[in-house]
Amino acid sequence: MGLRSYIITRILLTIPTLLLLLTMVFLIMRVLPGDPVYLHFEKKATPEQLEQMRRLLGLDKPLLMQYADYLLGLVDFGYFLQHGYPNLGKSMQNYEPVGRQIFSAFPATLELAIYSMIIASVMGILLGVISSKSYNSVLDHLIRGFGTIAYAIPVFFLGIMFQLIFGVHLHWLPTGLRINPNVQPPAQITGLYTIDSLLEGNLFKFFESLKALLLPSLTLGIILSGMFIRLTRTNMLETLRLDFVTAARARGLKESTVTYGYALRNAFLPILTMMGLQFAMLLGGAILTETTFSWPGLGSYIVTRINYRDYTAIQGAVVMFGLFVTLVSLVVDILYAYFDPRIRL
Amino acid sequence: MEKIELSIVVLVLIGIIVSSGTMYYTTTVMSNLSTLTSDVSTLTENVLNLTSTVRDLATITGTLAEAMGEFTETLTDLEARLAAIEASLAAKAKETLIVGTTDSVEATLDPAQAYDYFGWCILQQIAGTLVSVKPGSITGTDFQPELAVSWNRSTDGKIWDFTLRQGVMFPDGTEFNATHVKYSFDRAINLIPSIPDGAPASLGYDQIINRTEALSRYKVRFVLKDAFGPFLGIMACRSSAIVDPAYAPMAQVNYTSGDPRGSTAAAFVAPYYLSEWDRVGDKDIEIRLDKNPYYWNATSGYPKTKTIIFRFYRDFSTLRLAVEAGDVDMAFRQISAIDALDLEDNPNVKVWWGSPGAPLQMLCFQENHAPFNDSRVRRAIAAALNRTAVCVTLFPGLANPTYSMVPPGMLGHTEAFKKLGDLNYTLTRSLLAELGYDETNKLKFDLWYESSGHYPLSAEQALMLKQQIEASGVIEITLRPADWVSYRANRNAGIMDVYIYGWYPDYFDPDDYVFLYWGPWLNLHYDTWSPAAYAEQLALYNEARYSANTTLRVELYSQIEDISVEQCSIVPLYLMPPWAVTKRNVKGVVLDITQDMRYWLIYIGD
Repeated sequence: MGLRSYIITRILLTIPTLLLLLTMVFLIMRVLPGDPVYLHFEKKATPEQLEQMRRLLGLDKPLLMQYADYLLGLVDFGYFLQHGYPNLGKSMQNYEPVGRQIFSAFPATLELAIYSMIIASVMGILLGVISSKSYNSVLDHLIRGFGTIAYAIPVFFLGIMFQLIFGVHLHWLPTGLRINPNVQPPAQITGLYTIDSLLEGNLFKFFESLKALLLPSLTLGIILSGMFIRLTRTNMLETLRLDFVTAARARGLKESTVTYGYALRNAFLPILTMMGLQFAMLLGGAILTETTFSWPGLGSYIVTRINYRDYTAIQGAVVMFGLFVTLVSLVVDILYAYFDPRIRL
Repeated sequence: MEKIELSIVVLVLIGIIVSSGTMYYTTTVMSNLSTLTSDVSTLTENVLNLTSTVRDLATITGTLAEAMGEFTETLTDLEARLAAIEASLAAKAKETLIVGTTDSVEATLDPAQAYDYFGWCILQQIAGTLVSVKPGSITGTDFQPELAVSWNRSTDGKIWDFTLRQGVMFPDGTEFNATHVKYSFDRAINLIPSIPDGAPASLGYDQIINRTEALSRYKVRFVLKDAFGPFLGIMACRSSAIVDPAYAPMAQVNYTSGDPRGSTAAAFVAPYYLSEWDRVGDKDIEIRLDKNPYYWNATSGYPKTKTIIFRFYRDFSTLRLAVEAGDVDMAFRQISAIDALDLEDNPNVKVWWGSPGAPLQMLCFQENHAPFNDSRVRRAIAAALNRTAVCVTLFPGLANPTYSMVPPGMLGHTEAFKKLGDLNYTLTRSLLAELGYDETNKLKFDLWYESSGHYPLSAEQALMLKQQIEASGVIEITLRPADWVSYRANRNAGIMDVYIYGWYPDYFDPDDYVFLYWGPWLNLHYDTWSPAAYAEQLALYNEARYSANTTLRVELYSQIEDISVEQCSIVPLYLMPPWAVTKRNVKGVVLDITQDMRYWLIYIGD
């Protein structure tokens, strides 16, 4: 099968996956015990008040109609084009569009996810390669030990340690938030502070944004790198034993070319899959990291909504998270097929 | 020679002598005169020289003075410029106060809806009320003029006339007047049916105020349905803030995301105006308040800091780190009490403590659950408490035990619950023995506490109370936690046997405290199971509420408390103080019974 056919097939297969996901989310939110409308009110609500809220949220309609509204809202591209976010219903807290709330929180999560993945990938892959090349040496053991500790250490513990060392004692970096409290955030274009400050042409804000990003992305990146170290090391060890690697060495190629140009390229595919999955997980919000660093992302949003029992918002967030994972999986599969044509067969 | 000739010779000789003498004298005189003249000439010359010299000197001095003047001018100019630069730099640093908080605006900044601490905090900085509580107040009833300069009440207490301050301007040039007051209160009452959880609804504006009338441009009248003693307290609440009709439609709450002016109905007539309000996912990210150039009291030097920026942290530990790292100038609500005590040893920060006052913790009994419908059981549990131990152990030096629902210093405060005592196990056992409970047949119940941090050290409080009560030997308690939303739902559903609850007052009058004994939203069914006591307390309460006689009110509240001790529908436990943590150079923090943070008083000093 050609790459184009493969891509089309994968996209088409994504549709029933998405439909199943959306239906499951819809049903789960409605079969959970407890009346979310009842839980919303500060004081004991009258039946009229409860009815009014159900009406405003569309919860008074028959289940099938609610399901239809739910699906139609998601595919309402006109709404998306008009507002810049999908129709995910209204928050039970204040009847604000859940789509707007999620899309306002998403850029912070995306920015953290991107930088964390960069750190995790570079650190994890490099150390994994070095470890595999120094098989069974002291360096190998050290790197493996580091990988295990990095993966095992609780993220909030590492985060707080970094805050104490670099924020409180050394005063090098801010302890939280997306930018120094004394600095006005850049004008919102993409929502990613680093990109927006560059687009604004303000290098000072760019560096301040980077400073604020450094600790949380380093925290998350180190934790994730543990996994990448082990995975890279295992795959590289396998690949380095293969004949084509020996043949490449025999042809007189430089060791770095053999390692990175040949062995790593072939060992990279499972790592790519893992990167994709981890990135998708990060897009759902690194709740503990966001809480530790007061990062106003999707993770913080979901926790707050759960605390408020805001079921429509929780539903919307779960749907978006499912969409992210599905889309990222799709991209990973396509890349996988691009790098390894055998997959398309 | 004859005598004549001799006489002539003598005369001639005398003449010669006199002449000679005269001549000599004259010569001498002439000589002296000449000398004198010469001297005078010399003197004159000298004087002339001197004059010349003096003139020269004067000239030189003048030149010198001129030069000095120029030099001084230059020096002064330089000094002034240097001072200006230094002042500018210092002023720039002092112009902005960064405040870290874990709070957040819950809903909106509309006085008709906002009913959360932080929403009211922001409204206090940007919106004006007719009166306010004086900073540093101990009783909470020291009212001072704000948008009203004077007020008076009719003898029957049903009519309140306020004379408004003249020359108060909205940013668009509109002058504040009585029509704005009328519109604000008419709107607040109008929105009550659609915002049942809002402050005007909860405070009962529609039950207190009959109508509002604009008597003239600067005179407004409130006609009450009945005399209402704490009316000024209500007027000082943020729900009584004046709105700007241009941004406050009569029939709805407006909120435009990303638009500070469109996000609040409040009229900007206070020290600050809302210049920025960023929210992400319904949580505040940044709120920025800038000095209101039209503020009526600006000539008094307020606000002392030009800009206040609020930054929002997820939890108290992150906020504490931010304070220690110097990322924020000030942290208020919430750094934990333990962290605040710990920070007292930090040389870079200062901890400000208020006096235990308004926030109250209490123990509630669900009378729908037997045997809590029997006041003996409730009294028995109340007698076994040790408030002091909880205060000393968990909130050392902070919380004060309270034996009255009314805080100390406030009108109507008593020590009524001391009648039951603390750790009075004798009373506990004797009361429970009447109902058949003893060491072999213990009274068993669930003690609920809030587990998501809504109240400080909830779990620890509950554990201590359990230990104290169980030490009586005749009671067995199971602790049950619930997060805030579930806790509230459980309260509404009436499923919690006994639970710890808190109260933050809306205004500072016993009227807003003593009603807790039968607080309807607490859903304790006190009115069902203790109807006589409830009816009596309600009658006393209403009489006090609608009386202007302070002495009578004190007596009435005392009677309510006495009944409360007998009934123990709710048992007051302790009062908490407010606290804030700032950098050392932050001044002007005032923490009083109102728990308000008046940011316009705060400044960054040297």
